[in-house]
Amino acid sequence: MSPRLRLLLCALSPVALVAGVAVISLAVTRPAQPVQLAEPAPYRAPRAADGKPDLNGIWQALGTAHWDIEGHAARPSPVVALGALGAIPAGLGVVEGGEIPYQPWAADQKQKNLENWLSADPAVKCFMPGVPRANYMPFPFQIVQTPEFILMAYEFASATRVVYMNKPDFESPFDTWMGHSRGRWEGETLVVDVTSQVGDTWFDSSGNFHTDSVHVVERYTAISPDALLYEATIEDPNVFTRPWKMSMPLYRRLDRNVQLLEFKCVEFVEELMYGHLRRGATK
Amino acid sequence: MKHPPLASLGPLAVFAIFSWSTALAAGQAAEPSTSAWSPPRTPWGDPDLSGIWDFRTLTPLERPSELSGKETLSDEDAVKYEQDTLRALDKDRRTSDGLTAEQDVRNAYNQFWWDYGTKLTEDKRTSLIVDPPDGRIPPLTPKAQERADARAAALQRPAHGPEDRTPWERCILGLNTGPPMNPSVYNNNLHLFQNRGYVVILTEMAHDARIVPMDGRPRLPEDIRQWRGDSRGRWEGSTLVVDTTNFTDKTSFRGSGANLHLVERFTRIDADTLLYEYTIDDPESFARTWSAAIPMTKTDEPMFEYACHEGNYGMTNLLEGARAQERLAEETAKTKSK
Amino acid sequence: MRPNPSVALAGVVLVLMVAAEPAPAHHAFAAEFDADRPIHLEGTVTKMEWINPHAWVHVEVEKPDGTVEKWMIEGGTPNTLFRRGFTKKSLLPGTKIVVAGYQAKDGSLKGNGRDLTLPDGRKLFMGSSGTGAPADGSDPTDPKKPKK
Repeated sequence: MSPRLRLLLCALSPVALVAGVAVISLAVTRPAQPVQLAEPAPYRAPRAADGKPDLNGIWQALGTAHWDIEGHAARPSPVVALGALGAIPAGLGVVEGGEIPYQPWAADQKQKNLENWLSADPAVKCFMPGVPRANYMPFPFQIVQTPEFILMAYEFASATRVVYMNKPDFESPFDTWMGHSRGRWEGETLVVDVTSQVGDTWFDSSGNFHTDSVHVVERYTAISPDALLYEATIEDPNVFTRPWKMSMPLYRRLDRNVQLLEFKCVEFVEELMYGHLRRGATK
Repeated sequence: MKHPPLASLGPLAVFAIFSWSTALAAGQAAEPSTSAWSPPRTPWGDPDLSGIWDFRTLTPLERPSELSGKETLSDEDAVKYEQDTLRALDKDRRTSDGLTAEQDVRNAYNQFWWDYGTKLTEDKRTSLIVDPPDGRIPPLTPKAQERADARAAALQRPAHGPEDRTPWERCILGLNTGPPMNPSVYNNNLHLFQNRGYVVILTEMAHDARIVPMDGRPRLPEDIRQWRGDSRGRWEGSTLVVDTTNFTDKTSFRGSGANLHLVERFTRIDADTLLYEYTIDDPESFARTWSAAIPMTKTDEPMFEYACHEGNYGMTNLLEGARAQERLAEETAKTKSK
Repeated sequence: MRPNPSVALAGVVLVLMVAAEPAPAHHAFAAEFDADRPIHLEGTVTKMEWINPHAWVHVEVEKPDGTVEKWMIEGGTPNTLFRRGFTKKSLLPGTKIVVAGYQAKDGSLKGNGRDLTLPDGRKLFMGSSGTGAPADGSDPTDPKKPKK
């Protein structure tokens, strides 16, 4: 074979190879039946510096879970003067299965709470909402993620909590309003184990409650660039007949230059809580 | 993300800042660090200031008048000062040790509850204030003095309502958190977090997270005021500079007012030390600007939740006590007039 | 006659007694509690509220005539104790304690725990005191730091 021909064949051979492979592939894969599309690959969030899914951002729930985590029709406000703007909108509910599995005594207690919610709901007094309620208050919260700690800072009442990512044996010496959070990654999901929460926080403004034995396991999974799926499994052997679960999306706040602003509500509840003790107040 | 400044600028900047603060403390200056230590970097190249920092110290904010002119103490005098101070502050001293009943009530409870440190700053300074050189807060303007007098009067009398009391008794702010942070009687801790766009200063007291955007975004509009103001951050070499404005007229740091412009600087000068400096720029309230420098020590002891408002029996009790005092005064007046 | 620097330092210390706390008192103890109503109680802990801004110890005191008074005694921030290794199990119901303090201005059964001790005179929450609490599995002589 002449050198020139050899050279030509060398140059053409990859082309021929590819063309040949293409012809063969086409012949082999050309389907005889309608195309079966694979499930779209689950969303994969951008990575943080340490290679973990990046959940940094300002997030907020929509919907009416903060009013009532179970499905409910709209209902009026107990504060007549607020009219339509104080009334409670309807909601499909965020509890999987629909109903919270209360023990009989607890179902009665929930009813009492509901009837007295205006005076009994700790959030009315600007007490920190606890977990999971803090995540679905109608206020933004910010996730600040580092490898060792994940801070969640809530606009409501300036509540905060720190998730310890590498201290699985760190027990809290006492019970706290925002609980004690220890986290780990399971693939794309941040799993947070919340223990040592006081029994005084509620799940919503409808009297859904727990005791200080409550144990919450949260899951945060990015489902799109601007949304997380938030799931929380609740256990409290004093109150419920079995563990139960809630889930809802958390939406990224996209407003330009969005930032948490101050909602230091203690000032707004002083008249409510201490007004009767003011100088000159009639008892 | 911009390229970080050359690493060689880092320690120079640190040296410059440390020298500035010690030079301002005219007189016996502490030995500035001359080693070319530069802080570790975050994965995206910023100096790493993250962690839990402890700012206990026996050095007071203002230089005591008895020590005027003495910016630092000799090692021997410092030890004596520390021992004398700890003895004087010991809350387990009671009336049998010479205290009056009023002093005894004010001391409140056992020493084991308190945690204000056992040492002066490492450079043995007699004040945290480094400027003006006399180590004291400059005089208040007449307007600021009026405000301070009104606050003092409200605190002296049986409280008319919660607004008569300090923001920390009301559980709105922490007693050592400002901003600016300033050492006090316990829980002198903060946890600093960093991610690409933000630095967050979480102070233990009143569970407050001050979120500082680092992206150069505009400030809040003039008419949005916040108890902690509104902070914006930037890097100057290895120093985090935080600029805070938009305070309310209800916050006051040692007499400051709504138009305070607070500048804070955070510089990690060695593995275990975060030098925290702040400048109070508030010409409406003070005759001149003033600045303090507070070394903070890295700690691996955790911070704990400080839920304040949720357990504030004290507010109810002090208001009930005030009303009881008034009733007693009324009854006494009635009896006298009979 | 002491040399000057020491005299100056001694004088400073008195100033510091006030200066260590932001003036005025960080908490309105003078507003809540009455310097003219000192109390001395010996009783049994029924509950300890490990809360901020101040912990509260609930104590039942049996009077000589057999009646029982229920007192609430104010302490400091529990966070200081947690950092030293104490936990909510460190002062359990049933513990006998002695309280020296001052009663609330409104005459209610509240006081500040000016000095909290065990019946044998040891202070609560000191390194080797233990608390006399029923055994809870933790070493009473050496409070463990929280596990890292």
